[in-house]
Amino acid sequence: MVRELAEAGVFGVAVPEDQGGLGMGLAAGGVIAEEVGRVIAPEPVVSTIGLSLGLLRRLCPDHPKMAQLIGGEISLAVAWQERGPDGAPADATCRYADGKLTGGKAWVVGAIGSHGFLVVAEQDDGPVLVLAEADAQGLVIDKRTQADGSSLGELSFSGTPAAELASSGAVLTALAEAVADATALAAAELVGLSERAFEITLDYIKTREQFDKPIGSFQVIQHRAVDLNVMCEVAQAGVREALAQMDSETDPKVRAPIASRAKARAVTAAKKITRDAIQLHGAVGYTDEFDIGLYLNRALVLSAWLGDDAYHRRIWFETREAEGAAQ
Amino acid sequence: MTDWNAMTDAEFRKEVRQFFEAEYPEELRHLPHRPKFAEIEHWHRKLHAKGWVAPAWPAEFGGMGLNAAKLLIFYEEQQRWGVNRGRDMGVQMVGPLIIKFGTQEQKDYWLPRILTCEDIWCQGYSEPGAGSDLANLRTRADIDGDDFVINGQKIWTTMAHDATHIFMLVRTDPEAPKKQQGISFVLAPMDQPGVEVRTITTLSGETEFCEVFFDDARTPRENLVGELNKGWTMAKALLSFERIFIGSPSLAQNALGQLESFARGRGAFDDPVFRDRFAQAALDVEDHAALYARFADQLKRGETLGADVSMLKIWVTECFQRITELMIEAAGPDGGSIGPLQVGNINVDVLASFYKARPTTIYGGSNEIQRNILSKAVLGLPG
Repeated sequence: MVRELAEAGVFGVAVPEDQGGLGMGLAAGGVIAEEVGRVIAPEPVVSTIGLSLGLLRRLCPDHPKMAQLIGGEISLAVAWQERGPDGAPADATCRYADGKLTGGKAWVVGAIGSHGFLVVAEQDDGPVLVLAEADAQGLVIDKRTQADGSSLGELSFSGTPAAELASSGAVLTALAEAVADATALAAAELVGLSERAFEITLDYIKTREQFDKPIGSFQVIQHRAVDLNVMCEVAQAGVREALAQMDSETDPKVRAPIASRAKARAVTAAKKITRDAIQLHGAVGYTDEFDIGLYLNRALVLSAWLGDDAYHRRIWFETREAEGAAQ
Repeated sequence: MTDWNAMTDAEFRKEVRQFFEAEYPEELRHLPHRPKFAEIEHWHRKLHAKGWVAPAWPAEFGGMGLNAAKLLIFYEEQQRWGVNRGRDMGVQMVGPLIIKFGTQEQKDYWLPRILTCEDIWCQGYSEPGAGSDLANLRTRADIDGDDFVINGQKIWTTMAHDATHIFMLVRTDPEAPKKQQGISFVLAPMDQPGVEVRTITTLSGETEFCEVFFDDARTPRENLVGELNKGWTMAKALLSFERIFIGSPSLAQNALGQLESFARGRGAFDDPVFRDRFAQAALDVEDHAALYARFADQLKRGETLGADVSMLKIWVTECFQRITELMIEAAGPDGGSIGPLQVGNINVDVLASFYKARPTTIYGGSNEIQRNILSKAVLGLPG
């Protein structure tokens, strides 16, 4: 599956042509992400396009792993977030010194089956991006199963050998950019997912009969279906516009709130659509016999990843206020 | 004669913007009520001298001849600057009706009088028993010699008390098998003994709506527009452009701007709950604008809009209402007070905005009717 996607040029879609990609930008990446969302594919396509390649193409475009990632020969998971003692996200404390990593990373997408990890860590003179092989010494991967059957990795390093790829403030800038890209692409994935979940539901209410009629002939069902359809169309228009704007903007301070706008909209739509989809299916929607539940489960995972709607509305508002104060 | 359509969108927008900004009277900007003609007559004269009274009409009839894309820009600029639409029922509804379905005599007689506002029109569609179910209308027009004799009642007739003429849907064949058949379009003068107008006071205290009673009122048979008993099809044909215009983002965008200034002045953003609801509303407006742009692009490519354009109206009117409700929240204990509230150097009339938002989900086809249309025409749901 991954090789097939790679042959179609999927992974290199947003990588510039002179770095071996297709140079088509995030808007084209969004089209791919929508398709991935429609079939609720568990492959880490968005995290590869947005995070792994997003980091490498900004920090070390000549690294041989770039071509391997684009070609689908390997996958690299990005480990950048950390969990505090209370379980919530916390500031980074994972250390890199003398070629070795100590500490831990959390919420790593695609950790299981990955060939290695791009780890953002701290060293004496600031942030650093390093590469740790999957089978490196002292690396323990704890698997957290997600609602859709995929898993997130919790990594712990004890003197784990890793190779430095880039250092200095550029690492955090590139990370923020890559996270913004991945956030907007995840929004597109949710748009595709929402559209398909709506189509399945629409087919169902046209065929399911009660009181000798299709339930889709009842006005209350019709109006709910219309609201989901409108929600879907607004989300698609908003997210596509956001991705196109991100392609034409270079200032990270401008791009970040656009990504937040996209994710906030997509999560709100996907939550509403997948939950109402279960309701409109009735009791069978609550069983694992019907596909519709898979869409709900995948939406839960994609919503939580990189921030849900409430989180992104807050970020959007705060960035806007900060920009306003700066002017 | 300028060929506006040959200009680029940016050039045309600039031209329209400059004219409004230079010529539109400051005291008429963002009028909170619908003006009588006398109040805006000086502006209408300027517009008429410029030849801009009827942007959508073909140039041969004295219009600007704008295509759909340019027309949208014209209206966007009009709303952006808070330019009042004036008494535009003649321009928006009667003119297009006569241009499309009228005789040469009707065109020669009525169209110039619409442009000068010598005749001021009101629209006689709704009746007490015919609102969402418009085809249920009962006002009759019976042929009597050279005249129609009209009996019945119209309601929600906007500004009828300041109109010289009414264009109306009337029942001309009560025996027709379907109620959509047997309806005709007629034009009638208001100033006659058989016509009585009473204003209706709205929740906000305005009197822009009227009831119009017809008691053996008369209009010449030559004031029938189009074929007898074909009025319903004609009325539907007139609605196509209105359906995107009624879903334009401008009302909600203006209200959002007001909300932001007001909330900031009142310190409402200190409350994280309010901040989140503001962000929701702001993003609702922004994403709606993206969807609106998609439909507008369709028009620019020369495509005809489908029934799905109705979703714009549903979304934006409900969003507009939420924004004005947030304004009341931000007003706190002033939330029930009539009149402008001063915040810093701006005045915000919180309740005026709130009231203005209420009928938007009712007029132009209520949002429930819009949902019925989308459900059948777009989603293909049965029944």
